[in-house]
Order: sequence, then C-alpha cells, then structure tokens
Amino acid sequence: MHLKAPEHQVAGHIAKDGKPGPLVDDKGRFFKPLQGDSRGEIEVKFYESFSSNTEVPDHIRRYFPVYHGTQAVEGSDGAAMIVLENLLSKYSKPSVMDVKMGSRTWYPEASEEYIQKCLRKDARSTTVSSGFRISGFEVYDHKELSFWKPDRKLLNGIKVDGVRLALRKFVSSNTLSDTSSKPDAAFASSVYGGSNGVLTQLLELKTWFENQTFYHFNSCSILIIYENESIHEDGARAQVKLVDFAHVHDGNGVIDHNFLGGLCSFINFVRDILQSSDESTDN
Amino acid sequence: MLKVPEHQVAGHIAKDGKLGPLVDDRGRFYKPLQGDARGENEAKFYESFSSNKNVPDHIRGYFPVYHGVQLVEASDGSGKLPHMVLEDVVSSYVKPSVMDVKIGSRTWYPDVSEEYFNKCIKKDRATTTVSLGFRVSGLKIFDCQESGFWRPDKRVVLAYKADGARTALRKFVSSNSLADDSVPDCAYASEVYGGSNGILMQLLEVKAWFETQTLYHFNSCSVLMVYENESGGDEERRPQVKLVDFAHVLDGNGVIDHNFFGGLCSFIKFIQDILESSDNRCENGH
Repeated sequence: MHLKAPEHQVAGHIAKDGKPGPLVDDKGRFFKPLQGDSRGEIEVKFYESFSSNTEVPDHIRRYFPVYHGTQAVEGSDGAAMIVLENLLSKYSKPSVMDVKMGSRTWYPEASEEYIQKCLRKDARSTTVSSGFRISGFEVYDHKELSFWKPDRKLLNGIKVDGVRLALRKFVSSNTLSDTSSKPDAAFASSVYGGSNGVLTQLLELKTWFENQTFYHFNSCSILIIYENESIHEDGARAQVKLVDFAHVHDGNGVIDHNFLGGLCSFINFVRDILQSSDESTDN
Repeated sequence: MLKVPEHQVAGHIAKDGKLGPLVDDRGRFYKPLQGDARGENEAKFYESFSSNKNVPDHIRGYFPVYHGVQLVEASDGSGKLPHMVLEDVVSSYVKPSVMDVKIGSRTWYPDVSEEYFNKCIKKDRATTTVSLGFRVSGLKIFDCQESGFWRPDKRVVLAYKADGARTALRKFVSSNSLADDSVPDCAYASEVYGGSNGILMQLLEVKAWFETQTLYHFNSCSVLMVYENESGGDEERRPQVKLVDFAHVLDGNGVIDHNFFGGLCSFIKFIQDILESSDNRCENGH
C-alpha cells in the first residue's frame, strides 16, 4: 500500500510535528487518523450509523463520503485510521473550498471549555453573523497555471464582504494574487449554476435538512470541489460533500436547525453571485 | 377607556401599578415606549416596516398594524407617556387560546453588551432555545372541562425541555383537562394547526419569506398563535399567526435571518408531527 499526504487539503488537521495527518493511497481511499478525546470515536460511530441507516434516501447519501471502516496503518504506530472515499481522486486539477456550516459550532453536550472556545471563534468570524464561515479554500488560477490559497490568518478575519469576495474568487479564472483586478467569476454558472451545479445540490440537501431528525451535524463542513482541467470542454463537475463528523450527535426528534439556518444563508450567498454574474456583461 | 389587556401571555404586564400595555375598546393595543433604546427601536422598526415597499402584502398580514405613537396616560400612574399604537391582535376573539413562542436558537446578536449577552445566553441554554431553536414564552389555553383558562406559571414554562414544549403544543389544541397529567387528546389539531388556513399553512408562508428576505433580523421576536374557543355561531376557530415584539430587530444587511429561519423550521416540524400523529390516531388516549 503506497500512502502519501493528500495534495489539496484546505482545512482541518495536517501531518505536522510528528502528529499524524491524513493519508491517501492510489486506489481512491483517504485515511483519516482517529482524533483523540472521543472525537474519532464519535466520527466512527456516525459513519457506522449512517452507512447502515436505511432511512437516509439514496440521493442524499451521495453528499457523504463513502465509509470503508477502520484500519490500522503501518507507519502510524498501529493507530487506527478511518478509511473513507478520497473525494478528490477523480479530479486532476481540483479547486476546493471548505465551509463550516451553522451559526454556532458549539452544542449543548459539549464541555464548558469547548463551548467558550467556540463562542469566541464564532463571534470573531462570520459564523454568528452569516450562519457559516469559510475554513479554507484553494483555487486554480488559469492565467498563472498554478493553485492559489489565501493566507489562513487573513481568512480568519474576514467579514461578510470578504466572504462574498472569496466565493467570487473561487469561480474566477483571472489572476488571483493580483488584488487590483476584480475576480471575473467566469465559472460561476458552470460551478454554481446548472441542473447539476452547486446551488441545485445545496437545495437538495436543504430539503432533507428540513425534515431529518437523525443527526445534528455540529461543526460539520460542506466541501465544494470542481475540476479545472478542460473546464471549457467538459464542464466543472462540481460536487458538494459533507465532511468532518467528530461532533455529530443524535437528533432526538429535532431537526438540525443550526445547520439548516446556516445552509439557507450560504445558499443565498451563492445565488447572489450566480445572479450577478448572469447579469454582468463583462468582467 | 383604556384597560389592562386580558389575554397578555408574555412580556411586561400593566398590573399592580407597573408600567405595561393597555387596550381600548376599538381594537387597539397601546405599548409604552420604554425608557431605554428598545421602545425607540421597536417604533423605528414599525415605521420602517409600514413603509417598506419590498414587503409583500400577504406577509404584511402576519404583523400587527401600526398606528403611530400617541401620548397616553401610563398604567403606573406616571402621567402621559408616548405609547406605540398597534392593532390588538386578540380583540376580535371572545375566548382566545394564546401562545407566545420565541423563535431562534439564540436571543442575543452581534455587538450587544457583554451583560446582555450573558443574560441571554444563560436563558437560552436553560430553556429549549439552544436545543430546539425556539422556546414557549407564555400560554393561556381555554380549558373546556373547567370552562376557564389554564395558564401555567411562568417559571414552569421556562423550565420546559423538549418534552414539555411538545406537551404544551399538544395541550394547546386539546379538549380534555389541561391542568392534570392526562395525555392531551389533540382534538382540535386539524382545525387549528391543519387546514388551508391553519397555523401550519401560515407558518409555511412566513417561512418562505424568511428563505430570502434580507431586510430585517428579527432577534428575540415571537410568533403569537391565537384561536377562538367560543362555541355557537359559525364555530370557526380562526387560527392566527402573528409576529410580535420588535425591540431588538436590526437591519439584515444583505444576509438572511438564518437564526429565525432555523428556529421557525424546527417549530414547524413540531407542529407537523403533532398534526400527523393526531391524523393517524384512531381513538383518544394516544
């Protein structure tokens, strides 16, 4: 088994300072180290429950990574890892964005310390104001022919306008590191729009969230992925996936109103960019 | 001419020399403008809302009609004070059952004082606000068996957990005794919650507006549910949904009110579940 670090990780833990990070193989699988203090356990429990939950409709299942159980992997001290579908394996030049959904990342079952930590982070970011925050993104620059990623610290301090700009940049083809030119949003309709675009997928998810009371997806992210290679000829193949289930809890007969509210807000932001790019005559 | 409203279930009450709202006999509700910014903010909201061309007419119907500000003799004897003059939402009912539900998984909002934030979050966590996205603020239900109103103590209501909230919503549409532990029969669920003009339909209309409106953020607002118990005549329940309490409303600034929207969806799910289980039930006692 040939394992290496994933190329396009935009948020979450990376292999650093001797601590294990995620790995990928050449067979389309993603190996996620089980996080300490019950989070890894919760994530496994979620995947086990979700994979066998017959009440989750098939068309919703596609928004979740396929689960392949847990495995001890050599080189990681025999520590167990969660084996998942590598969401990027079918893409050759993917632009990726991670959006943490919900107007709060804490939840009643969490420890007081964790709640306070989350409250601070939620207030500093767009989580409280907008119902979601951009955790990270990487976008392919068609002029520079390379990937561009904003500075993490800068991203943490953005406000609503910064979010709008990031969502525009994410679907632009022009030079991204040059802040003087306005992002052209050239790929807005191929990525966000269309019958298989991001907006349509998000709306499908929203409908499920209006009724499902199985899980509360605390602190989960929506990952948006699209292909840049031959985007003009073959289209963007945009995909929406839910990831990061370390804090998922039982719904207990109540809908995940926190995630739903944030998702609806995010949908509006995406729709606004789609509409303004449809209306604009030139960049 | 002005008296203390009979059917006030939440908020300040004009009683025992306290400052509170009053009603007249012409269907108007007088809400004193409180000393702090809240009264001013509420009046400002009503002014903005009444003249906002971007609010569709069918949504306007879910808000009390605003009749400006008037100087009126205050309920606590402190003389003439400015009062907001609003439509008295319950004036056309003879024996109304009323419930006030505060919508949103948080009642605080960005840029409030630390003191206010701490007060809000403490209450939000102690009630069903955080867990359900809404909390029952007050209720007054006509009890057919007792031929009088059942009105649980405010502290009991604030202590409700998910089951308590669910039971209250079931009792709201029940015909059997409310004060004891008998299982609510939900006899009026389809007349009040269901039907083409029922509470559920109205909430769904409000929800559709909240999916895209970015005009206002309705922090700490309530949904008021009212229906008629007086029998005789055409026996129509006339269930109504109204949004009330706009002291903390802020500009939406291009962002939807995701806090209210999420809580509203959760509340709608509770109502739908009660409607469904009352439809499926073959006999009372379940």
